[in-house]
Amino acid sequence: MLEVRELLAGYGETQVIHGVDLAVREGQFHAILGRNGVGKTTTLKTIVGLLPAFGGEVVLQGNSIARRQPYDIARLGIGYVPETRDIFGSLSVTENLQLAARLAARRDRKWTIERVFEFFPNLANRRENGGNQLSGGEQQMLAIGRALVMNPTLLILDEPTEGLAPIVVRQIFDKLTELKREGMTMLLVEQNFHFATRLADTVSIFGRGQCVWTGTSEALRADAELHEKWLGV
Amino acid sequence: MVADVDFWLTQFLNGLQLSMLLFLLSIGLTIIFGLMHFVNLAHGALYMVGAYAGVSAAAALGNFWAALLIAPIAVMLVGIFLYAAIIRHMRRAGPMNQVLVTFGLIFVIVDLVRIVWGDIALGMAQPAILSGPAEFLGVVYPAYRLFIIAVGLIVMAALSLVLSRTQIGAMVRAGVENDAMAACLGINVERLFFAVFCVGCALAGLAGAIAAPVFSATPSMATDILIPTLIVVVIGGLGSLRGAIAGSLIVGFIQTFGAVVMPEFASVLVYVLLAAVLIVKPAGLLPARS
Repeated sequence: MLEVRELLAGYGETQVIHGVDLAVREGQFHAILGRNGVGKTTTLKTIVGLLPAFGGEVVLQGNSIARRQPYDIARLGIGYVPETRDIFGSLSVTENLQLAARLAARRDRKWTIERVFEFFPNLANRRENGGNQLSGGEQQMLAIGRALVMNPTLLILDEPTEGLAPIVVRQIFDKLTELKREGMTMLLVEQNFHFATRLADTVSIFGRGQCVWTGTSEALRADAELHEKWLGV
Repeated sequence: MVADVDFWLTQFLNGLQLSMLLFLLSIGLTIIFGLMHFVNLAHGALYMVGAYAGVSAAAALGNFWAALLIAPIAVMLVGIFLYAAIIRHMRRAGPMNQVLVTFGLIFVIVDLVRIVWGDIALGMAQPAILSGPAEFLGVVYPAYRLFIIAVGLIVMAALSLVLSRTQIGAMVRAGVENDAMAACLGINVERLFFAVFCVGCALAGLAGAIAAPVFSATPSMATDILIPTLIVVVIGGLGSLRGAIAGSLIVGFIQTFGAVVMPEFASVLVYVLLAAVLIVKPAGLLPARS
């Protein structure tokens, strides 16, 4: 589905990732774990086209996307939920979804705006509210819903639990579990070890701008040394 | 005379008329600013080109209404040429380079206009139906100036409707707020910017053509209108329609009433206001991003 090969990227002159290799298979839930500043978010931003790739290759379903524009990559089927959520505050909840739903016309319409409202009932009560009137949890749900109505082939989530109350984290967890059961291919960046390893089929660990380990969640949980070396604080 | 209600109502209409011209210019400028962070100082020069295009079209065709249609299209074509030749390549060049290049463009365009049309003020006939006086709330006021106000209000209403109710309006608002995220939803923000830029140019052309019968077409109108327009954009807040409306009304009325009430200070009043707004609300009164 998605293959990242020897990717080099960063901000301006500063290179942050030094040769990332990553492969996400269709129908898989793939999580990336790692300490702060190891290039997880940078990798995602480069995949979706917001940062330029200095080198390397990104291939989505056979299409090379490393040098494409973000709108083009979105049209090829990547739904992106950024760390900062980036809800349009001046648009209503419905308008936020409508904007993203424009794309779905050319794909199968599994996810409609109505289905997002069924999936996240909290949002249904807020349809006419402005994006800037939502709580953090509602914003996160809208950010996920917005990516879903694009009917993506790959859903990318950057730290969806950050700054949320445990009960909301639980809700997000349940929703991602449902999506996984439906066979949605997902790439998740997380700091929350248990959240990520309970959801993921495959986990990649990042360290110093590279992918240093890839394996199953079970293998990672069983390996205390690995955890100590790359994830412990 | 100064206590006279009619006098004040006339001044009110004068202020409203100036506000509408400022609105037609500033709305294009502010959305272009907001959407793409692009500073186009040549926007005032396009207003001047609109006036000359209107004058020539009216003279050639003998029809005011045809001129009012042709001038915005002509200015839009000039805008498209500028976009393709210069602006497109300056998109990532940073504000200082953009300001310098578009500032230089003002002089190039003004000199080209001088070469083609000469240095003297050129008048444009008002259409017969609007050339007489009209009565508004008991005040006798030139019908043509009421027409300017009406055009401004109609454009204002149409833009409000498009921006608040249509999909393309939502795309523009989203792009102004966060262009990176808009792109991640599959919106080609650069193409959206180009469309908005074309509409902005056409409105500047419309403002120029509609102003020509009142103020005549002169080369100096390119720079005369630029400063008040920029002040409108800064006071109103970048990228917002409501900001452009509020800013136009404030600047239009302050200039008009300032000239009547305290003529000695009229020219500095707007700058005092600008300074005050920048101190109290540096992002403007109604910015698009809060």
